[in-house]
Order: sequence, then C-alpha cells, then structure tokens
Amino acid sequence: MKTRSTQVSSEVLRTPGGIVRRSLRLAGVVVFAVAVVFAAAASPVFSRQPAAPQASPSSTISGVQCVIGCENIKPNSKGTISVVPTGLRFATDKDTADISTASIQDIFVGNQSRQDVSGVGGTVVKAAIPYGGGRIVSLFSHKVQVLTVEYTDSYGGFHGVIYVLPEGQATSFRDQLVAQGAKASAHVDVAEPTQEKP
Amino acid sequence: MKSVTRSAFPSIFAIVASGAALLIAGSLLAQPSPAGKAGPAPQQTQKLSASAIQIERTDPPEDLLVPEDFRISTYENVILQVEKTKKFQHVYRSGDRRAADVPDLIILRMVPQAYKAGSQKQREVTTVSGGTSIKIKVTFTNRDGKVLLEKDLDGKVRFFGENLRATYDFAKNVADVVNNNF
Repeated sequence: MKTRSTQVSSEVLRTPGGIVRRSLRLAGVVVFAVAVVFAAAASPVFSRQPAAPQASPSSTISGVQCVIGCENIKPNSKGTISVVPTGLRFATDKDTADISTASIQDIFVGNQSRQDVSGVGGTVVKAAIPYGGGRIVSLFSHKVQVLTVEYTDSYGGFHGVIYVLPEGQATSFRDQLVAQGAKASAHVDVAEPTQEKP
Repeated sequence: MKSVTRSAFPSIFAIVASGAALLIAGSLLAQPSPAGKAGPAPQQTQKLSASAIQIERTDPPEDLLVPEDFRISTYENVILQVEKTKKFQHVYRSGDRRAADVPDLIILRMVPQAYKAGSQKQREVTTVSGGTSIKIKVTFTNRDGKVLLEKDLDGKVRFFGENLRATYDFAKNVADVVNNNF
C-alpha cells in the first residue's frame, strides 16, 4: 500500500497536470495561513473602542468646542475642558473661562451627530466634487455629546454655555460636577423632537 | 382745416390744464401735513428709545419641547446680536440685579411658538428636506409691562450648517428689529 502511494505520488509528480494541482494546493494553504495571521492581527483593532473611550473618568479633554457662551472667548472656539476643584474650566490658547460649581444652576447632556467634513472648508470641498459627490461625503458623521451648563454671575445674571465633547464624555463631566455639589435636575432627553406646534 | 384746429385748441388746453391741476392736488395730498394741522396719519412710527435692555431667557410653553441647547443658544445669540447693534448703553441678562435701578429699562421676552429639529445630514444629502426652523414671539415691554413692540420672528437653516445656526439666524432677525425700531 505504502509502495503504491509512493508510486502514485511519484507518478503524479511526473505528469504536468499533477504538478500544477499540487502547487495550487500549496499556494492555497499559504494564502489561508497568511489570512489567518492577518485576521488575528486585525481583530484587536476592530474590537478596540473609539479614540474617545466611553465614559472614562478623565477630567481633562482637549479638542472640545465651545459653541457659545464662554466668557471672553469667541463662539465655536476649540480648547481644553477640565474639571478643577473650583468648578469647570475651558481654556483656549489665549483665554480661560471658569464656571464655579456654586454658580451652576443646571446641567444638561444631549446626544447629537456631527458631519465628519464640515465648516466652510468642508462645504467648499463638498461643492467642488463633481456629479453631486459631495452628498456622499455628507453621509459620514460621528456621534458627539453636547454639554449645556446654566449658571449665574455675581450680579445674578443668567448665563448658558454649550460645549461639544466626544461621545460619552459629557456624562462623565456632569457626574463629576454633581459630585462637587453642582445642581443638575433630572430632565428628559429630546432625541427627535420633530413635532411642530400649530 | 384751419378752423378745426382753432376750435380744438381750447378743449385740448382745458384737458391739459385739468390734468395738471389733478397732478398738483394729488402731490399736495401725498405730502405729510405740517405739524398742528389735521391730516392723514404719518406713515412711519416714532422710534423707541431706552438706555438699557434686559433680555429674559426663552420660556417655551409646556406642550412644546425645545432642546435645552437650542434655548440657551437662542438666548446667548440674541444677547450677542443686540449688543452688536449698540442701541443700548447696557444689555442686561435675565436676573441681573443692576437692571432694577434703570428707569427706562426695556424688557425683551421670547416665547417659542414652533420648533422643527431638522437634520444636517438630511439637508446636505437631499437639499430639499431636513431644514431646521424655530418661530418665536418677541415682545418688547417697558418696566410696567406695557407692550411697546411685538413680533413673530423665525430662524432657519435650510442648506448648509448645523442645526444651532437657526438660533443665530433668529438672533440676526431680532437685531434687525432693534435696529429698525430703536
């Protein structure tokens, strides 16, 4: 039997079709092995959380947008937000806006999505893509959280400030401020408020 | 032929003269009457004046859900835009105690009437749908509560821009009203 198989394989090797078949089988095995190696290497990448970890307890985040309400800071400025012992601090390269914990009247957290390509530059780029291709670019967006803080100044004047943070971070900030003693009422998130009062 | 021309001259002269008289009468009636004389009411209302304005926070009715960030953005944008008009020496925020000492204070109240959230993605992909809009009743009163001016204004974002841009559009409309009436 052994002799026969050896004979058969030697016969296969001798014929040109057999050589091709055998080399194809070997190539298939090699490709499969390479695929397994790549899949093993890629699985941690796919299973990894996004760059901004969900609800991590960090107290400083950079690249946060202050949409409006930061004193002495232009609307839509980007900077670093942090929870300090006295309250909430938003700092850009030039200025810093502080909100003391005692002055905070309420804190709201909302979920939104932002376009990956936005702003004036992004709009120009989208418009420049021929055959309406800019619309495809508009489909790409990412989730963000909006942190709205209401507070009063030393004269009793009401202020509101809106920050846009990576997903999951606003809740963490609210919890930290509440732990410091800031007021935050329970509220209902308005996810899709598309109704219109006649 | 000559007699015909001579006889037509007085009638032509009469028509031209009466037309001219009508035009003069019309133009005289269209002019504003001098002070102290009875006449048609003046077309342009007198501008309001005040040294300070206090802007109250937006207060939507209970049956209208407006997200808090939208309300705050409306309030803050209106303050910014009213300050830019430079029509008032002071722009006070809601609750500011210093406003109590101002005798000719104007109070601006904003009550949302309608709100449509829209979607930036939908706007940019479809162009024709997904617009965000807000309609707010704006009331200017004096310290006694007398209504000086009341208007329904809206803010919209139709094509490009984030939803909160509708509040900027609304604030610009409020600034226009302030510029035209103060």
